Amino acid sequence: MNKPSLLLDVKDLRVFFYNDNKEELHAVDGVTFQVYCGETVALVGESGCGKSVTSLALLRLIDSNGRITGGEITFAGINLLHLSKKQMQGIRGKDISMIFQEPSTALNPVFTIGDQIMETIILHQHVNQKEARDIAEGMLKIAGIPDPGKRLLEYPHELSGGMKQRAMIAMALSCRPKLLIADEPTTSLDVTIQAQILELIRDLQQKLNMAVILITHDLGIVADMANRIIVMYAGKIVEEGNRQDIFKDPSHPYTIGLLRSIPRLDIHQEKLSSIPGMVPDPVHFPSGCRFRNRCPLADPLCQQEPSSALISDHHFVYCHHWKRKAELQAESFTNE
Amino acid sequence: MIFYIIRRFLFLPIILLGISLIIFVLFSRLSEYQRLATYINNPERLKSTDLDKLIELYGLRDPAIIQYGRWLKNVFSGNLGWSYVGKEPVYNAILRRFPFSVELTIFSVIPIILLGTWFGVLSAIHHNRPLDHTLRIFSVVGWSFPDFVFGLFILMIFYSSLNWFPPGNLSIWASDILKTSLFRSYTGMLTIDSLLNRRLDIFFDALRHLIGPVITLTYVELAFILRITRSSMLEVLQKDYIRTARAKGLSEKVVINKHAKRNAMIPVATVSGQTVLGLLSGTVIVETIFNRTGLGSFMALAAQQLDYASIMGGTLFFGFILIIGNLIVDVSYAVIDPRVRLE
Repeated sequence: MNKPSLLLDVKDLRVFFYNDNKEELHAVDGVTFQVYCGETVALVGESGCGKSVTSLALLRLIDSNGRITGGEITFAGINLLHLSKKQMQGIRGKDISMIFQEPSTALNPVFTIGDQIMETIILHQHVNQKEARDIAEGMLKIAGIPDPGKRLLEYPHELSGGMKQRAMIAMALSCRPKLLIADEPTTSLDVTIQAQILELIRDLQQKLNMAVILITHDLGIVADMANRIIVMYAGKIVEEGNRQDIFKDPSHPYTIGLLRSIPRLDIHQEKLSSIPGMVPDPVHFPSGCRFRNRCPLADPLCQQEPSSALISDHHFVYCHHWKRKAELQAESFTNE
Repeated sequence: MIFYIIRRFLFLPIILLGISLIIFVLFSRLSEYQRLATYINNPERLKSTDLDKLIELYGLRDPAIIQYGRWLKNVFSGNLGWSYVGKEPVYNAILRRFPFSVELTIFSVIPIILLGTWFGVLSAIHHNRPLDHTLRIFSVVGWSFPDFVFGLFILMIFYSSLNWFPPGNLSIWASDILKTSLFRSYTGMLTIDSLLNRRLDIFFDALRHLIGPVITLTYVELAFILRITRSSMLEVLQKDYIRTARAKGLSEKVVINKHAKRNAMIPVATVSGQTVLGLLSGTVIVETIFNRTGLGSFMALAAQQLDYASIMGGTLFFGFILIIGNLIVDVSYAVIDPRVRLE
């Protein structure tokens, strides 16, 4: 198989926020990763680890109290951080689309589904109202919405949660983007609908040959969907690798803890494992390895910034002690 | 949508009946002699007749329920009694003056809503920056000004010193033309009637007399709309669908003007409705200061002179206007917000 071509190259991305006390919050601090055409990359981590901020930074949609303070985002050969506002608007919704966690609030309640989908199509494809309507209807059909002609005229509140997310997907994919960013697309949906939506994303991904960045904290979804996995903790990448690498050979203590916290059917457990402690407050991230105050392997060496260690092809870990991972017993992650 | 409006209309008579009952109960606290005044269309008759006989004649000592029924019947036939202040039947007095108040309301509400929402949106977009602070200070000063003080300032500057905007409804030469048969009255509103009569000179004269009170009302009422628009807009700008709109590649202008504004206008519509209704019935002070004929100044005079018939008729009329106005506000709500239509 040929190596697929590079689509997105993020280098040393830094996004800082400023709170009311003018303190700097290093929400994303030196994140580097690549996305290749057609693949699915999962961005995994706890709430507040910077995965959503990273994805919003790709579209340059950081809230006004935050700023991209460094790095490069190269998409299809163009550094997005050098584009004008207007050029960036031409990329959003056309080449890079995004779907969000909560479809009920992500759709504008006062416009019809059709209006909201057609708006994107007219904006990026320069077609007239009639053609846009036909494309929108076609997209709803592809997204598995029955009776699409009628749905176009309905308002978001007239659709169920799953239907709304399908409409969001239809909207995001209406201009056939090269990259879809899905920010926890199924978190607010119930389990059967979750499976359908994921299946739909996978199906459309193959049809349109687009890359997907899937942001989630649900490792079940990751195992199901992702080709490659990036594990984030406190604004930094801690481990990156192919799906097999991460699930079969997790090497960062945080990744190991994360995987242990999933209930398993094949192993008898009295209690679920969990990582002790909490994600530190972003104003006071520890120096060096940010996981060290929760890590069973931590020692004075961890006060220094860990550099990336290549375990195997495409499998990186940012840990001084990854070779000692065998010492991590299940007990070390159990909250007693 | 249709059912929603029909249902609202079905409630209308019930609410009106309630209002009439309240007014009647208040009125029945007066003595028979005071109430008799509303039945006398010709004050001359009072001098020659025995009042007690008249009270018997109009049944003012009958049981309350019978009196209420009789009064209601009169109200329905347009007989609201004789206005001592207006020297004409209350019904005519109200209908003749109401258009003037409507005219002032229309001319004031346009700048109030346009400027209020415009400034409010600007304020929200420039949240906590100099423009936001400037607009808020400007509007709060206006809001804190009593309208009679600000109205007097306007009169001092634009009438006394500059003689641009005189008080009253019309200049004397223009009101003389109005009295002749050459000028036909269509709506009772001077600006509209003068245009229909093709008298541009009278139109501009009427406009000149409107500017003073309009400036006063606009500056005093603007703050309310501005504040509602600003807070509503700030809230809407935080919503997920605004992020969606940006993620679609829409320009900031479209995001603000289409996606944010439409949602932010929902509470503003309600408040604007209240402002219109408040202006219709509450321009008492501004009409008095600028010496304008209108329902507000009429009611103020009636209250001063204890003209019970006018007060009662006017109150009933205002109640009617308020209910119709609220109905219109509710319907407009349903037009702006599709979620209301289903309920």
